[in-house]
Amino acid sequence: MNKHYTNMANGVKLLCINSEKFKTNCVKVDFYMPINEYFPALNVLASFMGHTSKKYNTVKKFNSKVEGMYDAFFDVSISTVGEKVLIRFTMEVLDDKFTLDGNKISEEAIDFLVDVISNPNCTDEGFDEEFTAREIRFTLENIEALKNDKRAYAVARLRMLMCNNEPYGIDHEKLEKDVKNLDSKALLSAYNYMISQATVVITACGSISENMLTEKFKNFAHSIENRTPAKLETVFVTKADEIRYFTEKMEVNQAKLVIGLRAGMQNNNDNYYAFRVMTDIFGGGPYSRLFTNVREKMSLCYYCGARLVREKGIILIQSGIEEENYEKAVNEIFNQLDIMKKGEFTDDEFNSSVIALSDAFKGVEDSPSALCNFYTAQVFDEELVSGSEFAERISQVTRQQVTECAQKVSVDSVYLLKGEGAK
Amino acid sequence: MSNIKEVKNELLKDSYYEIDHSSGFKIFVYPKENYSSTYAVFGTKYGSIDTCFKKEGEKSFTEVPEGIAHFLEHKLFESEELDAFARYAKTGASANAYTSFDKTCYLFQCSGNFEDSLEILLDFVSNPYFTEQTVLKEQGIIGQEIRMYEDEPGWESLFVLLRAMYHNHPVRIDIAGTVESISHITADLLYECYDTFYNPANMALAVAGNVTVEQVLSIADKMLKPKESKKIERTFQVEPENVVKTYDERHLSVAMPIFAIGFKENVKTPERTLKESMVSNILLDILAGSTSSLYEEMLKDNLINTTFDTEYFEGYGYSAHIFNGESAEPEKVRERINEEITKVMKNGVDSETFQRIKKKHYGSLIMDFDSIDSIGNSLISAYFNNEGIYDQLKLLESITVEDVNNRLRTAFSIENSSMSVIK
Repeated sequence: MNKHYTNMANGVKLLCINSEKFKTNCVKVDFYMPINEYFPALNVLASFMGHTSKKYNTVKKFNSKVEGMYDAFFDVSISTVGEKVLIRFTMEVLDDKFTLDGNKISEEAIDFLVDVISNPNCTDEGFDEEFTAREIRFTLENIEALKNDKRAYAVARLRMLMCNNEPYGIDHEKLEKDVKNLDSKALLSAYNYMISQATVVITACGSISENMLTEKFKNFAHSIENRTPAKLETVFVTKADEIRYFTEKMEVNQAKLVIGLRAGMQNNNDNYYAFRVMTDIFGGGPYSRLFTNVREKMSLCYYCGARLVREKGIILIQSGIEEENYEKAVNEIFNQLDIMKKGEFTDDEFNSSVIALSDAFKGVEDSPSALCNFYTAQVFDEELVSGSEFAERISQVTRQQVTECAQKVSVDSVYLLKGEGAK
Repeated sequence: MSNIKEVKNELLKDSYYEIDHSSGFKIFVYPKENYSSTYAVFGTKYGSIDTCFKKEGEKSFTEVPEGIAHFLEHKLFESEELDAFARYAKTGASANAYTSFDKTCYLFQCSGNFEDSLEILLDFVSNPYFTEQTVLKEQGIIGQEIRMYEDEPGWESLFVLLRAMYHNHPVRIDIAGTVESISHITADLLYECYDTFYNPANMALAVAGNVTVEQVLSIADKMLKPKESKKIERTFQVEPENVVKTYDERHLSVAMPIFAIGFKENVKTPERTLKESMVSNILLDILAGSTSSLYEEMLKDNLINTTFDTEYFEGYGYSAHIFNGESAEPEKVRERINEEITKVMKNGVDSETFQRIKKKHYGSLIMDFDSIDSIGNSLISAYFNNEGIYDQLKLLESITVEDVNNRLRTAFSIENSSMSVIK
C-alpha cells in the first residue's frame, strides 16, 4: 500500500514510517512558508530555537538536556526549497531498546521537540533580549561566512544575479542589513507567523508508533483555530532570452565558474524523471559528458558537474578552473550541452545514468533521516513515491525524452569569480 | 581454505564475520538485515605520511615525493582498457576513493549487481596500470584539486597548525602534496609504492549491508590471488617534544578570523591505545564541548560562535588535542582555553559531567551501527589499529574519572601548544 500523509488539522500533515531495523528513531517537523518580509527574522528565529527554549533557557541547560538523552541529535535549520522557506526541526534519538536504564528515551525526545516548538524563550512582549542580540550576531556571522566558502559564495551570487526579479534570487547583502535591524519583537512576530501560517509537515521513521506521535502533536496541531496556511508558489521561468555574463573579483587562488540554465520545466513535476536523467548524463556521475570531457580529456579542472534544482526548474553547473582557461571551459561546457540537445550522447552514457540513478534511489530506505527527507520532499505532490517506485520511473525514461528535455534547456547566466590580481 | 569466524555483540544484537582468506587478505562481512544497499571498502594502510620506507631485505630507505599515495589513488582507477569508473557505470554502483594521513581506501555503494561491482573493485585495485602519459594528464587534475583546497580556510588552518606544531613528522605535509612535489611523480615511482604497500599483509576488505559471506567469497576466491606479503619498515625523523612555533598565520579572504589551537602530546611510543583515544574524546567534550561552561561563557562574551569545535587528532607518531572555530579575537579564546585547562588540571573533572558525557558517547557509538558506510570504514580503521569494531563499546564501561584526569595531566602542555589563524 502506498504511503500517504494524514491531515491532523488544517495545514498540519503527518507521516509515520515504521521500521524495526534501525537503532535510531528520527522525527522531522517542517514549517513551509513563502519567501517574504519575514525571511530575515525567520533566519534568526531558526538559530534561536536551536539553542534555547523557555524551559531550557541557557545554551548549557538546553544542550545538556539533548546530550543527556544519549547524544540525541537536535537541530533547527533554515533553507529554501524553490521559493518556499523551510524551517526544519530534526530530532534523532537512540531506540528505546538500547537504553541502559530501560528509559523510554524516544518519548522523552519527542516531548522535548514538541516543547521547544511550542514554548520558545519569550514573553508576550517579545523574545528574550539578550539571546536575541546573540542570535542576531550568529546569523550575521553565518551570512558573512558564506565568503569563506568560495564555491558556495559563487553559487549564491549566480543565484542572486540570475533570479534578480524572482524571490529565489536572495540578496545576501540586503539580508544582512535587514537582520541587523531586527529586534526581539520582530522575532515574536516571525514566530507567530510561522506557527499560524506555515504548512506543517511531521515525518517520523523508526520504531515510534503513529498513535504515540499523533497524541504528542495533538495539542500543537489544534493550538491554532482556523489555521490558514499561506499560499506556497514558485515561479518557473521556462526560457532565458539571452545569455548574461557576470564577472566578480575576490581574493581567490582558483577561479570559480558557475553557469545557470533554465531547464524549461513548467512545474516541479513537468517531465521530472526525464530531466533528472538528462542532467545526470550531462553532468552527474563520472560517466557524464562534463566529467569525461572537461575533466578527464581536457584536464581543465578537478570538478565539473551539473545538478537539477527541481523545485525551481533550473540547472546549475559548477567548476573550479584557472582563470586563463575560462573561455576554453565555457566553450566546452556549451559544446557538451549542444551534444545533449542533438541527442548525440551515447547509449552507454544513457544506460549508465539510468542504472546509477535507479540504484541510488533503491538505497534511500537504509537511513531513517534520508527516508524522512525523501518523503517530506514529496509532500506537495499528488502521490508519494517509494525509493523503488522512483527507480522504476527513472528506468522508464527514453532517449527521446532526454533529448526533448535537453532541447528545452536555455543558458541564462554565466558567472566567474576570479582573483583580485586578474585582468 | 579460508578461515571464517563469527564475532557477535549481544548488546547491539549484531554480528559480523572475520575471514582469513586463502589469498592472505583479511576480509570482514557485516550483514544488515532488511537493508537494501551494500557498502564495500578495500583499503591499504598507506597514506600521505608514508614518504620514507623500505621493504624487508632492502638495504636503504626509499624517499618518495609528497602526495604520492593520493596520486596513486587517482591513477589506480585507470587500466589498459576500460577505467574503473566506466566499468562501474555498467553496474550502477556509486564509487569513490579517499586518501588520509595513514590509509587509502577504495569504495562503492550499491543496491543491485553487488557481485559485479565487487569484482571490479578487487580487479582494479589489484591490477595497476600507469604510463608516463596518463601520469602527466593527472598532474593537471590534481593540480586543480590542490588549488581548490588552497581556497578552503578550514583546511588551510589545520595545515598551518600542523606545520607550526611538527618539526619533522610528515603529518605536516598536505595529503595531496604540492603542485611542485607531484611534478616529480613518475610511473616507475608509482609502481614502486604500489608494490610496497598493496599486498595482503597491509590491506583489508570490508563489506556491510545487504550481503552474505557466500556472496563475498564467491568473488574474492576468483579475484584475490595469493601474493607475497611484504614487511614494511617505516621511518620518521625524530620529532622534538616542543612545537616549531607557538603562533602562525596565513592570509586568505575570510569574513572573520578562523583559528585552530593544538596541544601537541609528547608521544613516547608511535601509537595511542584505543582507550587513550576514547578518553581524549571524552576529555575534550568535558573541557569545551557544547555543554561546557567554557563554551557557554565564550559564546556569551562574543568570543566564539556555534562553529566552535574540538577534535582529537592522532595517528602513527603524532597526537594532538585541537580546538577550532571563528573568532574576532582568537588570542582571547586561546587564553580562556589555557585558563580552563589549568583550572581542570588542578581541580579535576566533575563526576556528574563525566557520567553524562560517557552516556553521550555510549549513545553515539550505538547509533553509528545504523550506517553501512560508517561500519565499513570503522572495520578497516579498527583492523589497521589492531582493534575490533566492538572494542569501544566494551572499553567505555571501564573508563573512569581518574583516567580522564590522568590523560589531561599527561597529554596537555600549554607550553607545547600552537595556534594558527587564517585572516
